[in-house]
Amino acid sequence: MSFSFLAPLFAAGLLAIGIPLLVHLVHKERKESVAFPSLMFVERTPYQHSSRQRIRDWLLFAARCLVIALAAAAFMRPVVARPVRPVTGGAGGREVVVLLDRSLSMAYGTRWATARRMVRERIASLVPTDRLTLVPFDVRASAVNEATAERLALGVALDSLRTVDTGTRLAPAVALARRILGASTLPGKEVMIVSDFQRSAWDLGDEVRMPVGTTIVPMDVATDAVSDRSVRGVEIRRDVKAPNDRVIVTARVVNVGSAVKGVGVRLEVSGRTLERRTLDVPADGGATVAFASVPVPSERVPARVVIDPDAFTGDDAFHFVLARAPAIAVLLVDHRNAVPERAVFVARALAIGDQPAFDIKAVRSDRATPADLAGRRLVILNDAGVPPGVGATALMRFVRSGGGLVNALGEHASPRTWPTGADSLLPGSVGTPLDRLGEKGAVLGYLDRSHPALAVFGGARSGDLSAARFFRYRPIAATNGVLARFDDGTAAVVEHRIGRGRVLTWGSSFDGSWNDLPRQAVFLPFLQQLARYAASYRERRASYTVGDGVDVGDAVGDGSERPRASTGERYSVRAPSGARLAVGGADAPGALEVREAGFYEVRRSGAPNERARIVAANPPARELEFASFDPLRLSGALAPEPLVASTETAADPAVRFIDQEREQSLWWYLLVVAALVLLAEGVLASRASQRRIQPR
Amino acid sequence: MTTPLGASVDSDAGGNGALPGTRFIDPAALARIGNLELVARWVVEGFLSGLHRSPHLGFSTDFAEHRQYVPGDDIRRIDWRVFARTERYYVKEYEADTNTNFMVLLDVSKSMQYGSGPLSKLEYAKYLAACLTYFSHRQRDRVGLISFDDDVRAFVPPSAKHLQQVLHELDRATPLGKGSLVRPLAKVAESQRRRGVMLVLSDLYEEPDRVISALGPLRDAGHDVVVMQILDPMERSFAFDDAATFEDVETLVRLPVVPSRVRGDYQRLMEAHLATMSKRLGEHRIDYCLVDTSQPLDAMLFEYLLGRERMRTVK
Repeated sequence: MSFSFLAPLFAAGLLAIGIPLLVHLVHKERKESVAFPSLMFVERTPYQHSSRQRIRDWLLFAARCLVIALAAAAFMRPVVARPVRPVTGGAGGREVVVLLDRSLSMAYGTRWATARRMVRERIASLVPTDRLTLVPFDVRASAVNEATAERLALGVALDSLRTVDTGTRLAPAVALARRILGASTLPGKEVMIVSDFQRSAWDLGDEVRMPVGTTIVPMDVATDAVSDRSVRGVEIRRDVKAPNDRVIVTARVVNVGSAVKGVGVRLEVSGRTLERRTLDVPADGGATVAFASVPVPSERVPARVVIDPDAFTGDDAFHFVLARAPAIAVLLVDHRNAVPERAVFVARALAIGDQPAFDIKAVRSDRATPADLAGRRLVILNDAGVPPGVGATALMRFVRSGGGLVNALGEHASPRTWPTGADSLLPGSVGTPLDRLGEKGAVLGYLDRSHPALAVFGGARSGDLSAARFFRYRPIAATNGVLARFDDGTAAVVEHRIGRGRVLTWGSSFDGSWNDLPRQAVFLPFLQQLARYAASYRERRASYTVGDGVDVGDAVGDGSERPRASTGERYSVRAPSGARLAVGGADAPGALEVREAGFYEVRRSGAPNERARIVAANPPARELEFASFDPLRLSGALAPEPLVASTETAADPAVRFIDQEREQSLWWYLLVVAALVLLAEGVLASRASQRRIQPR
Repeated sequence: MTTPLGASVDSDAGGNGALPGTRFIDPAALARIGNLELVARWVVEGFLSGLHRSPHLGFSTDFAEHRQYVPGDDIRRIDWRVFARTERYYVKEYEADTNTNFMVLLDVSKSMQYGSGPLSKLEYAKYLAACLTYFSHRQRDRVGLISFDDDVRAFVPPSAKHLQQVLHELDRATPLGKGSLVRPLAKVAESQRRRGVMLVLSDLYEEPDRVISALGPLRDAGHDVVVMQILDPMERSFAFDDAATFEDVETLVRLPVVPSRVRGDYQRLMEAHLATMSKRLGEHRIDYCLVDTSQPLDAMLFEYLLGRERMRTVK
């Protein structure tokens, strides 16, 4: 017989026992008492005064406590059920599937050893007619052997298993078990699940049912209280006070268990400890530690934040890559007659960007040459038209090959002056300027905030572009790719693609003559976002999570967005454990699946002497949440008919229902007993009250 | 702050430049008793010529006796009429009047904190002490103060210059602990050797035997002991309406009480206690006065001093 509760949280109701005691002794008395100089004469009066500072009627008090305890126990819905034991042997044999959790959390304490011992015991209990399949699982599941009763082979397979750094998902393992059992011809079926049953491992939406007659045996190894500290993440931000390019690394340390003081935390860069700090972490809480700023290396170097080792070392370090964010090389072309103080807005707005930085080369349109495009990822035609020295052909070639173009159509950028063949650089025909000065200017009436270029303005208080006034602008006849419109419906920002490149056309100027946008605070993010998008800039991640798929070319590249197919590069990857992997090319996966925490070293195949580029990976945060769920719930979900899980004799549904009710009906008896005790308490209280007010 | 006469005075007397505690001197009360005297009923000792009867003979108008002249006596004091009749030199001796020590023994136990009206018993006792101290000081008596609960808490030795210190200590006095007369008054009896007037202001929540045993040493030491038992009207009537838990502010004992049930017995016990106290103290020649805090201070003082003068006259 096993005893459990369906709603154990109602156990908190037992705390209510303290309430009558508290009221009895403290609260009520203090609230209602009348201060009096001396009770020496009151005490002498011939009436009995009960002192409420001590409990006199112990029986009454016990009865009241018992009522509360019984009510709480009833609400906890106690269940008496026969234990589900692995059935050894049986006529005709059993098909046994052992699902063994090998996720990172199983490495905590003695969980993994306990789990292996449980599996080993089950293997030892097999009879020759049985067959067992061992299925280790984490976020995925696969059988490590054919179904067999060979204990030696099963033992070897079990010994070969290790925990991994990944998270946990029960659904794939259960689905695999169902397939194995469904294909089995043996009469007996059993699924043994050995796990710590982390709450994050089971999604209630995962609906998998075991075949009828399957015995489900959950084996919970998470019986010990967890005490663990882990580094959950780092934040890297530029040190704005430092004269050179330096960053401040801030790490967050999370503690599960009681509070700990003086936890040592150190920052390592390229294997060298740069700084060591200590911090106090509260019970079941977190703390952050900010290290002194460190210089940013030009190359990607491995770095990690490490805390003092505890009982579970798998999460004591957070790995990341420290590198200078690549700058976007911009060619800023101003009109040859542009007033210098007006042309400065764009250059200044981009110059103060740091995520990413912009490497700006400014030229006048009459001096620009095709050589200026070399190494540039973005060209901004700041009311300059197509520079005659560059020509439309070179500009088109630049965009087709993946370069970006932002074209501001101001006073000097009349389409009539555009060279032949440059029309495709515009999204559509561009008209003569519209003058809105008489109406105190137009405003931007529509923004496509779902577009990546303008998504930054989608949040609350993220910048008000409608504050800017537009006195003149050029109407763009475009139907597709309109990112923003003026209040009269005229397109203001239009995107179109040429080859692999992006072209953004702005219907007004950036020099403050046709509008006051450059004088608005929102101008800076607006222009930077347009430039980032047009240049196809993609941020490089400092770290990945185990289980992520990593585009190696993207992870180690220069930050530009390129289609995977176009890279076609083959990479050789060295995992943290030393294993060699191949990524890319014709016969290897196109992306690296990160399976271990630590640093992956990536080299292009055929370039063994090339400096390895680093990809950092860390355990998934969900795996470090040790909260578990009741395995009985899993049993109920996998086999909603209780008798399927507990017995092999399929009974009548009505009988099963009655049995189910019988197992859970204890709450009813508890309530009846509580009512009887309440009745007795009433009688006792009445007598005690009478006794108390009687004169001596 | 409201005085026992109902006048409103500034509780922060020091804020106006006045000395701390001067707010307790009630001008109305002093004006009412201004033509009276607080005179020691028993013989007291002093240095200066004052209102009280001295154990020593000295300069006065009250003739005491004749004594034979001895060399060294002032020849101006020789009674020539007696010499004419007897041809012997006799000198006339007169009863001396002297000033005295006027000590206020103020009970500052927590029970004195109680007050059902605008003034607590302690506040009332402070007014009383301040007025009588000022009154005595004006009579050239030396004034002092001892505040106590179950031990002596503050002590201002008697001096003709200590009026301000006494008022200051009165101002500072706050109810603190549990009250008991025996220990602090025994210390007073030991330390105050010079006979004087001892004014005890307390609610006397003790058994009469213990009160007598506490006051006895003072009386035995020759002091003129005046006991003023200060009670709030609610302490005598117990006129509470609702049943509630009553808490003894000193012992912190809590009792659920239905006032209507115990009121009669309580009043009977209280009156018996007061009667016993009056009787037993009288037997020990200790002046006893029951003070009700609902009574105006000036009327109470006037009545008491008048009665005391009458007793002196009778005696």
